[in-house]
Amino acid sequence: MAVAERGPIAMSEADRWELPRNKPWIVRMARPWLRNPLGLVGLAIVITFFALGIIGPYITPQDPRALDAHSRFFGPSMDHPFGTTKFGQDIFSRMLYGARVSMVFGLAAMVVGFLPGATLGIMSGYFGRWIDYAIQRSGEAWTAFPQLPILLTVSAAVGPGLKGPVIVIAIGAIFGGSRLLRAVALIERHKEYVLAARSTGASEARVLIFHVLPNIMPFILVGMSSVFAVAILAEAALSFLGLGLEQGTPGWGIDLAVGLKDGTEHPYLVIFPGIVISVMVLGFNLLGDTLRDILDPRLRGST
Amino acid sequence: MLRYTLRRLAWLPLILFGVSMIAFIVLRTLPGQDPASAIAGQGATTEQIDRINRELGLKEPIFPVSLGGSAPFIETHRNSQYGKWIGELVRGDFGRTFNGKQPIREQFVRKAPASLQIVFMSFCVSIVVGVSFGIVSAVYRNGAMDYGARLFAVLSSSIPEFFLLALLIIIPAYLWNYSQPVGGYVPIYEDPLRNLRLFAPPALIIGVGGSAGLLRLTRTTMLEVLRSDYIRTANAKGLYKSTVILRHGLRNSATPILTAIGSAFVAIFGGSIIAERVLSIDGLGLWFFSSALIRDLPVVQFLTVYTAFVVVIVNLIVDLSYGWFDPRVRYN
Repeated sequence: MAVAERGPIAMSEADRWELPRNKPWIVRMARPWLRNPLGLVGLAIVITFFALGIIGPYITPQDPRALDAHSRFFGPSMDHPFGTTKFGQDIFSRMLYGARVSMVFGLAAMVVGFLPGATLGIMSGYFGRWIDYAIQRSGEAWTAFPQLPILLTVSAAVGPGLKGPVIVIAIGAIFGGSRLLRAVALIERHKEYVLAARSTGASEARVLIFHVLPNIMPFILVGMSSVFAVAILAEAALSFLGLGLEQGTPGWGIDLAVGLKDGTEHPYLVIFPGIVISVMVLGFNLLGDTLRDILDPRLRGST
Repeated sequence: MLRYTLRRLAWLPLILFGVSMIAFIVLRTLPGQDPASAIAGQGATTEQIDRINRELGLKEPIFPVSLGGSAPFIETHRNSQYGKWIGELVRGDFGRTFNGKQPIREQFVRKAPASLQIVFMSFCVSIVVGVSFGIVSAVYRNGAMDYGARLFAVLSSSIPEFFLLALLIIIPAYLWNYSQPVGGYVPIYEDPLRNLRLFAPPALIIGVGGSAGLLRLTRTTMLEVLRSDYIRTANAKGLYKSTVILRHGLRNSATPILTAIGSAFVAIFGGSIIAERVLSIDGLGLWFFSSALIRDLPVVQFLTVYTAFVVVIVNLIVDLSYGWFDPRVRYN
């Protein structure tokens, strides 16, 4: 910055070499993370989540669906770290397997909801006018309404299964994504680099894609993180309530619901699925919070 | 203020009208299982399904006006489903359930008190916990209390309410042989102790769970306000710390906090449905839930509109209370 204030006169060779050298990018990227150990924990959980979502079904120590009358209600042990269900199924294997459903649900919410919403938000923040107004007002109306009744209404219309929940979560993500990125785009469009890019004769599309988009990428990651947190919670909650997955399918929420029936005698049936859900959601929340803190210290501690 | 209230109230029927139309479109036109065959059950004959369709008018046109036919390409229908529904509604008839043909109005009056109580109790818990911990967190910034409060906010937005409610049922039973009562609503004026045994634990869980957003917002707002000049002046005058924080600090943070209280209500409304379902409390939430599961469309339709009604009223109260806490707010 100090150099820029000297005006447009070219720097002498000596000046240039006196400037502090930048640390390698990997060091610059890593430093704020090392100052936020909780963010690192979140990152580790999120990586675990995706790893499980991809390879979980192939690394289950036992078949998550296999019925075994001889191993019903085994408490946690070396063979069954999380115990076994009423049907003798290994809960640990079912949890590993269940990551897939949550991940696919989250990805669906992101692809159908968040990404279009983010695009809309950037466009409406950047170009403004009536489309901005329309999106923001409908978003406000949507968030004013409790989500669960909407989910119940849509589930009543399209029947049980994950189809209804995906629609509702995706609509929520459209509005959530558009609101977050609209705010970012509003700030970004007045920045100097946008003006600079325009003054070189770049078209609006080029400015948006090659200049604005890379600058707001981290905010998109923040949004994605929270979409996943919401989606995992919603899938688990709806399956728990009997509106999502069918009974018998290995999934976190549905296993908790089934376990609750025998939970007073065998609490581990409820505790382990619950902890798995909580830890995964916590991971995404911690990651999102840390990303936001690193990006914009002014937003620290806000929702 | 009165004029403002009246004008806002005039919007109410319009909003409810819009919500009811959207709910009708969602419930009756989206492809899904046919409600008549859902009522008839498995193995029903085509005649039975036809009869149910005729009785309930499910094959009638949905809206009184539709596009189509010959010029002017607009058809009107006298016996449309929506027309019939809204005609009955304005006369105070909420219709009948598909399942058992009971009047919705009677059921509503019977089930509402339990829901009102759990929402009200959770709401109070939420406000007390969210605002007070938010203030403490801001006043002792970066102290142990602050970290505790922030940790609590992150945890409570990560741990799902249904998990905590499930733990509420199993943990006391497993460890202390005390079972959380499930079902069996008694009005609080008849048997306060039994009533509170049923409602207090879930209200605590839902309320504390819904307070995270409120806590965070109270903290950020208070942090900003406490930095301002008039707080320094108030401190310099030698006022009690509590006076500075509550009379000068909190009052000036009222507007955003009230907005967050409105959002907390929305979260609690959803949470109370889960609580009713997990603890089998025979309230509106459980009714909403079980009706959605068996596709009892009139009940779902009614409860959707009712939810919109509650949301609009709560928002109005929040908006009106801005002026009560902050005299600078003018309504026009």
